[in-house]
Amino acid sequence: MNRFIQALEKHFVPIAGKIGSQRHLVAIRDGFVLIMPLIIIASFAVLINGLPIEAFQKAMASAFGETWKQLGSGIWNGSFAILAILVGIGVSYNLAKSYQVNAISAAVLSFGSTIIFVPPTKDASGLTLAWLGAQGLFVSILIAIIVTELYRRLVKVKSLAIKMPKGVPDGVARSFADLLPATIIFILMSAINLIINVLAKISLFEIIFNTIQKPLTSILSSSLPSAIIVAILIHLLWSFGLHGTNILGPIMDSVYLPALEENIKAFGKGVAATDVPHTITKPFFDVFVHMGGAGTTLALIAAIFIVAKSQQYRMMGRLSGAPGLFNINEPVLFGLPIVLNPILIIPFILIPVVLTIITYLAISSGFVPKAVALVPWNVPPIISGYLVTGGAISGVILQVINFVIAVVLYLPFIKMGDNQAVKQQENAS
Amino acid sequence: MRILLLCSAGMSTSILVKKMQEAAQKKSMDAKIWAAPASQLHDFINEVDVILLGPQVRYLLSDIQKQAEPYGVPVDTVNPMHYGTVNGEAVIEHVLTLKK
Repeated sequence: MNRFIQALEKHFVPIAGKIGSQRHLVAIRDGFVLIMPLIIIASFAVLINGLPIEAFQKAMASAFGETWKQLGSGIWNGSFAILAILVGIGVSYNLAKSYQVNAISAAVLSFGSTIIFVPPTKDASGLTLAWLGAQGLFVSILIAIIVTELYRRLVKVKSLAIKMPKGVPDGVARSFADLLPATIIFILMSAINLIINVLAKISLFEIIFNTIQKPLTSILSSSLPSAIIVAILIHLLWSFGLHGTNILGPIMDSVYLPALEENIKAFGKGVAATDVPHTITKPFFDVFVHMGGAGTTLALIAAIFIVAKSQQYRMMGRLSGAPGLFNINEPVLFGLPIVLNPILIIPFILIPVVLTIITYLAISSGFVPKAVALVPWNVPPIISGYLVTGGAISGVILQVINFVIAVVLYLPFIKMGDNQAVKQQENAS
Repeated sequence: MRILLLCSAGMSTSILVKKMQEAAQKKSMDAKIWAAPASQLHDFINEVDVILLGPQVRYLLSDIQKQAEPYGVPVDTVNPMHYGTVNGEAVIEHVLTLKK
């Protein structure tokens, strides 16, 4: 086991590190981080609008009139409905920043370029709103990266910079410096759009959505094997002390956020939370598997309190309990430690896989509703189980069942690790 | 001394920040210590003396070193064991060796 871990540390960790610090993936991740507050607010706005408690709905309607729901749908329009645009701006901004070129210029150019590709509505009176939202996510990220890469190269070309005479204010000079690069980028983007429209008769958005985004989302958000692979990858990375959820973030967000958006949208239209389309979303893991943080470590802490006798384990249990309630588990991961610990890595990877399977079965059998709210990852269990399912007690019950199973599975391993710690303690004294 | 701790959301490192502040106070050090998400480094790069990374984002080390180099700010990872046991004193000692 030790040799196996060493081999993985030598070959797997550097690759994971490269992926985790890859410039474009970091920019995509930070683009999602940027818009997360908006998405969370919007998700709760829909949740409140659609809360299946009749007394609440009646009270709101009688207090504020039937139009009270427009407050929530307005918030939706400004956030989830233009998800692709917002993420694209964030990706471009962060990527440009990493190249140390004018980030806001790059972001504005990417925004404009994305709009170039959005097909107009049939009567040509506006843009097709659907492509500005989750459906257009892949295209907007792609365009943000291409435009920013072009921009940072073009602004470095000396002959493209229009020189202003001395005495012209800095801001004015800078806007002229961008003029030729922007012209080239816009002509190029519009030409590509024109060629695609003429040759393929459909927009770039439709092509990418139908050939890549839709198949990928439907595989990852509904098949159990893909969920198990995600769970294993996250916990394998964490086993080496690398932030698994963070490294996989750009991929998970790109696929799971559009899936969740479809769920929330359907729920907002009055579809029951059990009947919305996608089973596996990011909250699926955050709420039902990562209780106390990756590895369901809240259960591990409980197991420590039940069986552990060594000072080391009991101290780490006390230290990690409070942050664990908010799903922060770095103290126990690095302090116990779980990281690179051949005994604890086994349940740390195994238990999330078991819980993923149980959760999948509970949701696909209809016992627990699907995720219809983006619950932030740091919301404590019980509350998160209630909110994510659109206010279903069965969500809380599933969390309790998962928790108990995780505690039972952790117990023998904690006992083993604790025995070792007790021996070390005796040897030391 | 201005010490910035970076992790993915700035939350787990904020537990350590409190212990480091206590340790710095004991040594009567004049220290400003705070935590932030790694993605917000550019907001603070002008106003820090030392940057520490949580071990869970140690794969960002070379990237952040590159960002901090023009400003002459040293960057290092927190020792995982110090991090896990929230040993503020040990981390302060580590900072002092970085900033000599």
